Amino acid sequence: MSLTKYESFVREPLVDGEKTYNKVTEDIVYTIETKPTRLWYIGLYISVALLLFGIYSVYREVTYGVGQWNLGKTVGWGWDITNFVWWIGIGHAGTLISAILLLFRQGWRTGVNRAAEAMTIFAVMAAGQFPIWHMGRVWLAFFVMPYPNTRGPLWPNFNSPLLWDVFAISTYFTLSLLFWYSGLIPDVATLRDRAKTKFRKLFYGIASFGWTGSTKHWQRHESLSLVLAGLCTPLVLSVHTIVSFDFATSIVPGWHTTIFPPYFVAGAVFSGFAMVQTLMLITRKVMNLQDYITIGHIEAMNKVIVLTGSIVGCAYLTELFMAWYGANVYEYDAFFKYRLAGPYGWSYWIMMTCNVISPQLFWFKKLRRNIEFTFIMSIVVNVGMWFERFVIIVTSIFRDYLPSSWSLYYRPSIYEIGFYLGTFGLFFTCYFLFSKYFPVIAIWEVKHVLKTSGENYKARMENLEKLSADEFYAKTHHH
Amino acid sequence: MELDMSQKKYWQNLGELNNTEGYRKLVKDEFQEDLPFEADGSLLDAKSPRRDFLKYLGFSTAAATLAASCETPVIKSIPYLNQPENLTPGVAQYYATTFVAEGDVVPVIAKVRDGRPIKLEGNPLSFINSKGEGTSARVQASVLDLYDTARLRFPVEIADKELKELPSFEAIDKKIAGELAGSQVVLLTSTINSPSTLQVIRDFLAKYPGSRHVQYDAVSYSGLLSANEISYGKRAIPTYHFDKAKVIVGIDADFLGTWLSPDEFSSQYAAGRKINQKNPEMNKHIQFEGVLSLTGANADERYLHRPSETAAVVLNLLAKLGGNVSAPAIADEKLKKGIELTAGLLSNNKGAALVVCGSNDPNIQVLVNAINEILGANGTTINWANPLLTRAGIDSEMDQLVKDMNAGSVGALLIYEANPAYNYYNAEDFIKGLQKVKLSVSFNDRADETSGNCKYIIPHHHYLESWGDAEGRTGFYSLLQPTIAPLFKTRYFQTALLKWSGNDADYEDYFKEFWIKKLGSQGVFDKALQDGVVEPETLSFASAQYNSAGEAGSASKVGAGSPAGKAELVLYQKVSMGSGAAANNPWLQEMPDPITRATWDNYAVISYAMAAELGIKLDDKYEVEFNKPVVAFTINGKEVKLPILAIPGMHPNVIGVAVGYGRSEGAGRAAKGVGYNAYPLVSAKGGFRQYYVTDVTSYVKTKETYDIAYTQTHNQYEGRVEVVREYTLDDFKKNPDAVPHYRQELAEDFAKKTGDFRAEATLYPKYEYPGAHWGMSIDLNACIGCGACTIACMAENNVPVVGKSEVKRSHEMHWLRIDRYFASYRNNTEGDNLNVVFMPMLCQHCDNAPCENVCPVSATNHSSEGLNQMAYNRCIGTRYCANNCPYKVRRFNWGDYTGADSFPDNQHHSGVGKLDDAVLMMNDDLTRMVLNPDVTIRSRGVIEKCSFCVQRLQDAKLEAKKSQDPAVIRDVKTACQQACSTGAIVFGNVNDKESQVYKIRTQEHNQRAYYALEHLHVLPNINYLAKIRNTGRPVGVKDEFAEKKAAVHHAQH
Repeated sequence: MSLTKYESFVREPLVDGEKTYNKVTEDIVYTIETKPTRLWYIGLYISVALLLFGIYSVYREVTYGVGQWNLGKTVGWGWDITNFVWWIGIGHAGTLISAILLLFRQGWRTGVNRAAEAMTIFAVMAAGQFPIWHMGRVWLAFFVMPYPNTRGPLWPNFNSPLLWDVFAISTYFTLSLLFWYSGLIPDVATLRDRAKTKFRKLFYGIASFGWTGSTKHWQRHESLSLVLAGLCTPLVLSVHTIVSFDFATSIVPGWHTTIFPPYFVAGAVFSGFAMVQTLMLITRKVMNLQDYITIGHIEAMNKVIVLTGSIVGCAYLTELFMAWYGANVYEYDAFFKYRLAGPYGWSYWIMMTCNVISPQLFWFKKLRRNIEFTFIMSIVVNVGMWFERFVIIVTSIFRDYLPSSWSLYYRPSIYEIGFYLGTFGLFFTCYFLFSKYFPVIAIWEVKHVLKTSGENYKARMENLEKLSADEFYAKTHHH
Repeated sequence: MELDMSQKKYWQNLGELNNTEGYRKLVKDEFQEDLPFEADGSLLDAKSPRRDFLKYLGFSTAAATLAASCETPVIKSIPYLNQPENLTPGVAQYYATTFVAEGDVVPVIAKVRDGRPIKLEGNPLSFINSKGEGTSARVQASVLDLYDTARLRFPVEIADKELKELPSFEAIDKKIAGELAGSQVVLLTSTINSPSTLQVIRDFLAKYPGSRHVQYDAVSYSGLLSANEISYGKRAIPTYHFDKAKVIVGIDADFLGTWLSPDEFSSQYAAGRKINQKNPEMNKHIQFEGVLSLTGANADERYLHRPSETAAVVLNLLAKLGGNVSAPAIADEKLKKGIELTAGLLSNNKGAALVVCGSNDPNIQVLVNAINEILGANGTTINWANPLLTRAGIDSEMDQLVKDMNAGSVGALLIYEANPAYNYYNAEDFIKGLQKVKLSVSFNDRADETSGNCKYIIPHHHYLESWGDAEGRTGFYSLLQPTIAPLFKTRYFQTALLKWSGNDADYEDYFKEFWIKKLGSQGVFDKALQDGVVEPETLSFASAQYNSAGEAGSASKVGAGSPAGKAELVLYQKVSMGSGAAANNPWLQEMPDPITRATWDNYAVISYAMAAELGIKLDDKYEVEFNKPVVAFTINGKEVKLPILAIPGMHPNVIGVAVGYGRSEGAGRAAKGVGYNAYPLVSAKGGFRQYYVTDVTSYVKTKETYDIAYTQTHNQYEGRVEVVREYTLDDFKKNPDAVPHYRQELAEDFAKKTGDFRAEATLYPKYEYPGAHWGMSIDLNACIGCGACTIACMAENNVPVVGKSEVKRSHEMHWLRIDRYFASYRNNTEGDNLNVVFMPMLCQHCDNAPCENVCPVSATNHSSEGLNQMAYNRCIGTRYCANNCPYKVRRFNWGDYTGADSFPDNQHHSGVGKLDDAVLMMNDDLTRMVLNPDVTIRSRGVIEKCSFCVQRLQDAKLEAKKSQDPAVIRDVKTACQQACSTGAIVFGNVNDKESQVYKIRTQEHNQRAYYALEHLHVLPNINYLAKIRNTGRPVGVKDEFAEKKAAVHHAQH
């Protein structure tokens, strides 16, 4: 038996072009070892500007109170928690790609997993800002931590879903970070080995934790990856499940829904993949990595999008059905009178259009493989998913049990918008720095699949495959 | 001799040495732990909540210490060097005194903490308060006026609009006495019913021949006074007894809100509205009006008419009742039928019927007198034994004064508690005249519109700083005693009159002498001061000799009527603001209007029909956006631009505008620039003010909009019967078990095994509440929606004022609000079929509280006595609790409203959330003197809400422990309950079988008792009693779902 695994020619190559191990390294580290382009600087500056505006917005809110936002007695959560859930959702794709697809041995993940994981980390960082800064007295945020204290001791309320969030998100963030970083180590070592300046040597030297590439290292690395993947897999499902509990365990009509956990997870994967698409399409273009992030990758992710989009659509319809079938007046009103119609009806229909109707176009292969279309769709999906969270949060509480307390029209203040933009700033600042100083594609993992799924290898394999068994034997054993 | 050390005994006092019985008792009671509950034996064995209390005390102290050490500014409090006698710091003292303002008299008990009056309650010894503690919102709020920053702090002389401090009262007296000499003096005051003051005035006038005293009321009752002179030969106002009437008819009279003596009338009225379920009967109230008033909102039947038709309504009613008048035809069929029905009801209830009318036209009032005469009201529901003395202003006298001033024949004008430059209908003439008066002195407490145009202002004390007396009704005296030394360099205006008439006595001495002489001895006077009132033992009833001679003349005079324009305008008073004298009171400004729920403004209220005519769509957008269209009205040929609010229950051609707004800068920082002054729209007819305008010739919607900050956007309860339950009296009689039946069904559906809805419909174990279990009952039939409880709660619990800009952002902080629902649909313009529900809404203290579960830090938790409590120091402000509260009663401190922020000096910033000047005013050191030291000031970033006045409960519990008297706990009242003049709110320990709330729930009103949103199983500790209306028209909601369910249920069995 040959050492080279055979792969069906039906499968598209995962790496395009004439590639060798060296070429792969050269291609991917090129941007790290050269001066950044003007485009990169412009992007970074815009991101930093947004981040600074975000910091100012949060400063205003912390200093003068949550009254800097346009929330009120009825709508107590608005853009803050909408953005939180949105970012957390986005932060799902990375771990799903790295962990679950790793366990399922999906080779195509190698092209996108590094960037997706980075995106996960940055998105969770962005998400985490909201529950922290939305507090009225953020300087006492440590009260949520179960630490021994002299107040009794007084513990946090373990019944509260918000507390579950604290644990769920911090666990998820920690594991995602570990997973991402452990994957980075071999590549950082590569950078260290190629480093020419003292600083780079020192920096990458420390960051690579003394990686030598010995077989023992590889073996341990593989084991660690598997263990972390095993730990992360349930987290992919649990984090958004617990986030959904914030709503599902409440008594607000429109929140109090048992369908929320699967519905939220599907939505999270949906939005996460859309965000990966957005980033990848830009990255491959700007960094000239079309050979590594191929149309095939893009199509694979579009398939996930159409699947999860359909699940989400199904959930929407189920919710409506239950609101009608449940014969609960309050729930019926919440869905049919104040969500489908009413002052915020428009947001519901944006959500429906962006999340359910438009992704169905991905049933067409031509569109799945169309880069421009995919790019537009990836943005449309995330707009839709933002509105999904807005619809769930705001249109449920703005008219709940007592009609006397129904809300005025809630629209965000400049600092609410500023905070949101600020998290974009945070996210993209991190991403720009990451893409400049770390390989956006996992070099070692690409190399791992190169000889089975690289275009040039597959092409050579095609000739072999045409041979009869005898010819093949003769050709491979001609000595 | 050797000393036996073991026999040595130390003792602190003789009691201990001799071990007397009294000493043993003292020792036993000193640290009494058990609450003296009588109920079940098990309660006596209950664990004492003392530990919890200490825990919380310890925790709050520790947390407060922690917070206080974090760079918050140090505020020094200075202890007494010599502790005053009878004063224990931290223990409140109570003084009987009297609220007096513009003629109004309400005997009150002032609570004084560490020398500062902080809370007022009605004096239950007074008939004027119907022997209860209830008061109006305005009385509740008046304690804040004491600490008003706009009060002048010293006497001033005004030259070129500049205020210049006058050095001493002696200098002023010298100066003014000189200027007064020989001139014709006019003393212009609001109605004065203080016997001693009237004596002072008489003495003063005698010194200056040709002088006179003119009484002037901002809102005139001159027509009523004159009519009574014609009908009864007395220029006086009788007392009314709504409790004695089975049929009450109000014609343009908002007697529950603003007409004459609403505090008293509302408790009388409610007495006839409360249902005894064993024999359910109630009075019938019919209201004729054009603008939906608080009174109209409570009526069983309402009929609408234009203000110009008031005479026609009265004439028709009189004619139908057999009066010898010819009545003009009424075109409106509904109104016509309404009058017929009303006449029928009235004539069937002669001797137990009352018709009151708010018109200031003496002819109309003469005709109303004729009606009441036919009904036998004179001497039964209208009592002439002790006429009301709260209004005495005669319009023609004031008009004459203004004429005289302009003619230059007034030498000196002394003004006390009157502000004609603001509220006289022809203020321009008054101001012009004032400039022609050589010497003008104002005794008003601030440089208001009138005082600002005078030469001198010598501010009078606030009533809480004063000695004094008032005679609200003939022979019913109430005394004022100071509850605090004057805060500023102010002086009794009576002292000035005394000095200027050559009497060197201070009013204080004069007053004491006056009363000791009147009452006979110092002892009786002291007792009177302690009681606060000197009143007859029992109420006596008397009729007055009726003279029908004026009827024909009046009928012919009103018969002509004025031509009706395209629309007509009614000027009304808001329940909160009244005539506008207290406009600088932020509590009142921020109190939502009972009908429109709007704060901090006046506006034009119009009907839905008029809104449609104006092209204003009353859709979702109108509902959820504050910016209301501005409409240009042509009123009396003048264009007036006003923002509108469309409400149901309005006559389609009537516009309502409240007076009392549009004050000038001198009125104060909170009053300045709020609303529009509608007094110039008042007209005069035959020398009497008319509070309506008949020719509104056009109204056009402009492109402008104006933000009106209101607190309730949606007006219907959308058929949510779990929230509001209302029935007609007949339905209730026929099916008295509708509510218990619903509750039983809940138990059947959700507690199939045990039938115990409380225990079975949950996963959590049932907690038994062994000690006290606090509960409240609110009778929707007794609640008239006046809002006194809202203000009482603000005063008791230091609820912050947030200002218009923040109300506009739904940031108001009221712990207790009154939800007002219109039970007619949005586009139904048939306003006379309107059902209005007032539902006081406060924290329901759910025993299975949804807010408690979700707080990540347990800042809100449940006490062992059923209180849903807030540990402010623990709150981190996630607002999750507020989102999950189905009653939406939790309030978040969005900004630094109180100055208690962790960041010092954090109230001054621009941009989003900029705080109004009124909020800054509320945080002035002076204004903060009103704060209740028993209640924590909440800082920015925490949630707050109703605590069931836990400070009062703790206080009562401590008292009860000390005295071992369960009655102490039975007597504890929440602030809202205490302020409620109709007794709609009852609070107590539900575990105590003797408590009123227990009896209401189980025996007296169990057929009406329901819990709002009971089906959610949040287990509220507040129950409501369903509203019953005495009407034949459909009421409530057709509950189709329940009917279907019942049908299915029926089919199954």
